Amino acid sequence: MAMTATQEVYVDESSVGESAWRQVWGRLRRKKLAMISLLIVVAIYLGGIFAPLIAPYGYNTQDLDRGLEGPSADHWLGTDRLGRDMLSRTLYSARTTVVVTTAVVLSGSLFIGTTLGLIAGYRGGWVDNLIMRVGDIFAGLPAIIMLILINASLGRRVEDAARWVEDHTFLDGLVSSGFHSYLLVFGALSLFFWVGSARVIRAQVLQLRENDFILAAESLGGSSARVIRSHILPNVSFLIVLGISASLGGIAGSEILLTWFGVGVQNAPSFGGMIYEGSGARTFQSHPHLLLVPGAVVTALLFAFNLFGDALNDAMRGR
Amino acid sequence: MSQNRLLAILLSVLAVLVLVVGGLSAILLLSGGDDDNGGTASSGGGGTTTETGGGGGNLAEPSSGRIRLASSDPITLDPHLAGDATSAEYIVEIFGGLLTLDQDLNIVPDLAESFEVSADGLTYTFTLREDAVFHDGRSVTAEDVAYSLNRAASRELSSPTALAYLGDIVGMREYFFGLADSIPGIQVVDDRTIQLTIDAPKPYFLAKLTYPTAFVVDRQQVESNRNWTRRPNGTGPYKLTEWRLGERLVLEANQSYHLGQPSLREAVYLLSGGSALTRWENDELDVAPISVNDIDRARDPNSDLGPYYEAFPQFTISYLAFNVNQPPFDDPHVRRALGMSIDRERIANVTFDGMLQKATGILMPGMPGFVDDDLSLPFDPEAARAELAQSQYADNMPVIQITEVGAGAEASVDMQAFIEQWREHLGVEVQVRQSDFASFLSAQDQQQLQAFSAAWIMDYPDPEDVIDLLHHSGSQLNATGYSNPEFDALVEQARVEQDPTTRLDLYRQAEVVLLEDAPWVPLYFGVSHVVVKDQVQGWFEPPMVVPRLRYITVNR
Amino acid sequence: MGAYVIRRLAWLPLILFIVSFATFALARFGPGDPVTVAAGQIRDPEVLAQIRQDKGLDDPIPVQYARWLGDAVRGDFGESFIQRGFTVSELIFPKMWVSAQLGFLALVMIFVVGIPLGLLAARLAGTWVDPAIIGTLLFLQAIPVLVLIPPLLWLFALQFNILPVGGWDGIFEIWWIAGVIAVPIPDPHLYLPLLAFTLPGFVGVARLVRISALEVNTLDYVRTARAKGLSEANVQWRHVFPNSLLPVITVFGLALSGIIEGALFIEVLLGIPGIGSFLFEAVTSRDYDVIMAATVIFATAFVLTNLLAEIIYGLVDPRVRLGASRN
Repeated sequence: MAMTATQEVYVDESSVGESAWRQVWGRLRRKKLAMISLLIVVAIYLGGIFAPLIAPYGYNTQDLDRGLEGPSADHWLGTDRLGRDMLSRTLYSARTTVVVTTAVVLSGSLFIGTTLGLIAGYRGGWVDNLIMRVGDIFAGLPAIIMLILINASLGRRVEDAARWVEDHTFLDGLVSSGFHSYLLVFGALSLFFWVGSARVIRAQVLQLRENDFILAAESLGGSSARVIRSHILPNVSFLIVLGISASLGGIAGSEILLTWFGVGVQNAPSFGGMIYEGSGARTFQSHPHLLLVPGAVVTALLFAFNLFGDALNDAMRGR
Repeated sequence: MSQNRLLAILLSVLAVLVLVVGGLSAILLLSGGDDDNGGTASSGGGGTTTETGGGGGNLAEPSSGRIRLASSDPITLDPHLAGDATSAEYIVEIFGGLLTLDQDLNIVPDLAESFEVSADGLTYTFTLREDAVFHDGRSVTAEDVAYSLNRAASRELSSPTALAYLGDIVGMREYFFGLADSIPGIQVVDDRTIQLTIDAPKPYFLAKLTYPTAFVVDRQQVESNRNWTRRPNGTGPYKLTEWRLGERLVLEANQSYHLGQPSLREAVYLLSGGSALTRWENDELDVAPISVNDIDRARDPNSDLGPYYEAFPQFTISYLAFNVNQPPFDDPHVRRALGMSIDRERIANVTFDGMLQKATGILMPGMPGFVDDDLSLPFDPEAARAELAQSQYADNMPVIQITEVGAGAEASVDMQAFIEQWREHLGVEVQVRQSDFASFLSAQDQQQLQAFSAAWIMDYPDPEDVIDLLHHSGSQLNATGYSNPEFDALVEQARVEQDPTTRLDLYRQAEVVLLEDAPWVPLYFGVSHVVVKDQVQGWFEPPMVVPRLRYITVNR
Repeated sequence: MGAYVIRRLAWLPLILFIVSFATFALARFGPGDPVTVAAGQIRDPEVLAQIRQDKGLDDPIPVQYARWLGDAVRGDFGESFIQRGFTVSELIFPKMWVSAQLGFLALVMIFVVGIPLGLLAARLAGTWVDPAIIGTLLFLQAIPVLVLIPPLLWLFALQFNILPVGGWDGIFEIWWIAGVIAVPIPDPHLYLPLLAFTLPGFVGVARLVRISALEVNTLDYVRTARAKGLSEANVQWRHVFPNSLLPVITVFGLALSGIIEGALFIEVLLGIPGIGSFLFEAVTSRDYDVIMAATVIFATAFVLTNLLAEIIYGLVDPRVRLGASRN
């Protein structure tokens, strides 16, 4: 759980723009492991996204007469205690992981992290100080413990709020879809996953500001927004992508831990829930597939995230 | 990177580690020192005990044998504070009160030798035994009993359980809330006689006196030693001789116990460690509970566990409860429809591998008032659909959410099976919300839950403890908001009915009304499954917490 | 350097203040309280309200927090609700000691095993062994502990029955030879938690050692040593080993913070009476004072670890001038 680890990345200043991305992709394509990892990630994500189309059964379709079966022609990955198809449940769990990782990346690493990093680096002064000190505090906390406390304490309140919204607006099904629990998980995870990317981006922006072309743009009277958009953003885009790829594994892993703890997403199958049902040495002894199926998929996903992140890092450094 | 630099760094790392380890050791030594103090103080007490114990033990053959059990730390060994089963299991062995329960759950005298009830059923006069002594040899007097009952209800102690068990005594409530300085319902007549007066002729009051809240503690010890619960001086069949948090707790026979010398000399409770069954198989434990993963093996008489396997029904019931003030459960048809569309027997067999017994009503087999009939709603999808069709919510079913205690993304397995059966048989979608225990209890108490799944463990063997206490419209523990004048009248009558047969019959009628109205759908009765080593004779898992160690013999 | 450390240490009280207040507010903001949990089955709302009032649980959160802080500063962390009659300090120190011993051993193990593996990988760079070692370690890192522990338990405790299923019995067990000579051997309860703590951690150390060993190998003085005709073993031992060791210390922080966070789950799964499982129980039963004390200890350990890591990093790598970017 290296959530707070930051990495230094050197980007060749000249190598920005579309051609740079093409170069990186070219280097990546030659790395066999990177491509395999990418394939694994894409397969799991596609499986999750299209779960309703490809799952052979509903995730809740039960057959009480056929509980705890091993793999068979009907159920490729066997069934759980209630006779539900493990393959279908795995696909739907992947869907949960897709939703959570995407949302947290968008809100935490990408939106909050990038924005705060840009602002801190560009404005400097007390703004920079404030943002980075707040970041220090979040980075200094044992994230998973704080996440558990937040979700355990606020779970019911958020649900009540969602009910209130349902009662007072035309929105429906917020609570039944488990939306509020997703919201809480996103919110809490985002709180801790912005720091890394904000730090890296800030450092890069600080460096860029000293560059002649930015100074020139500024002295020519370009507005801050314009300077950031057209000169700084393209130069930190590598870092943003790297930050995202580095945080994905942590986000997916944390979601599993939270759900296993009982404070994660609700009313949806998830890897944390499946692992919870399959854990216990004796359960494993008598029905190993309950743990091995979700465990293998999760391990493959995290492994692929890590390998791909490394490869991407290398490729961006010109290796 | 010179060698000097390396050296400096290694040294500084080493220094930090030394500091950390040193600091921790210092802390350990300090806390260990506290332990030692406690140990010395109590071993002094233990010394005197052994002396008197030896004196009394000459009459019979000394206790022998040693049993090793798996358990966990008691939350407290203060009988007046305990409200959980684990604590109670230790407390009933170490302490005693005026009355106790025997193996068959009959109410029998303990410290009291006899008692009389006044004609109006309000005043109980207890005569104490002459030979009743604390572990340290001091005689138990009526003052000790009075002190203990007063202490249980005192404001300083803030016992959450005192009023539940002793609140019937005249003046107890006022005393607890600081409205009175004494409790008029408790009168010491002489050294060996104490009189308790209650507010209404309630036959179940005697049963409540068997609960730890009414147990007797040693005033001298309580007032002189803040940490007295670590080596309590009780009057029970066993003395606590060792308690290391999270490691082990040892009980040793009280050789001069007034109800007869215990046959088992020592019970060692191991308070940590992994799977009890594995440790049982390694001969580290004498008794181990069986979980759902091993039940098939245990039931097979030819397996390695088979010959040692035993099952004991428990006085626990799990149930679904519907809040009758919240739609759609304000309509009894919906409640009945939900109750009739789940196949509890089959689900118990599939999800718990038959480890639980389908509940046939509210009272468990063995409870006073139990009848050998299935009073519960039958599994009948056809009839369930008919019920639903009659309901006002037939076409516009509101969202139903059932809350249960649990962790994990999804409902417990049996709940998921229910959901599927409701979907299949009624076309009703039900969601489950998982909650942690603390939040669940507070929501339950405030009648906030639309529906929930929970369990009840009997506190004393009287139907009042579940039928009246949880369902009377005026009861504070009524979490469903259920209110039916007919039912209320029946249980109110039963509260003060002096003839036991008529009384149990009233409860039976009330139970039938309740099951028809279906604020509760009883699910299963608990069963305790264990394996017991050959050397242990007479092991039993009582349906509720009663003193049991003294009946057991171990040939080791 | 000294000034920087002092400035960072000055942050500690502020961070602890924020952590403790946030935890305090969060724990009390949630529904349910320890009074309800401790009451058991028969709960009388009036009685519980009275107890809450007597214990001051009805006061505004800042007032309660101020009271807690005042006591905590004086070393009084309150009393546990789920282990009545014991103060939080009494309960928590033995548990800290268990966690600290285990964490320390795990940390040492990570380096003791990780460094040789990294050196081996570097030595055999270019052969299949190098990627095999690193790949395996990376793979081990990817397995969540929740998935890792049940198979370990099954394998060692149930299948081969050579290790206990969990629990804790100190670091050492004494073997008596002929009833006279005492030989301390590692207690069998140690192995499973150590495996669970260390398997995900090896890769960080091994990779770094490998990279720096590869770099050192190409340095001039190593080449010179080889050219002088020193045996390869000698070169490795005298030059490569000590010089590639240095950067490894920088992963110390990462390894330790992984151990601290992992403690929560590993201790719960293996029934180890440490501070992680203590916090777990406290959170589920809303044992306020225990939650507070345990969280503050976790946060302190975490902050100090990060600081220590930064300091070491600064010592090792002169290129990183600590605090240089600040201003």
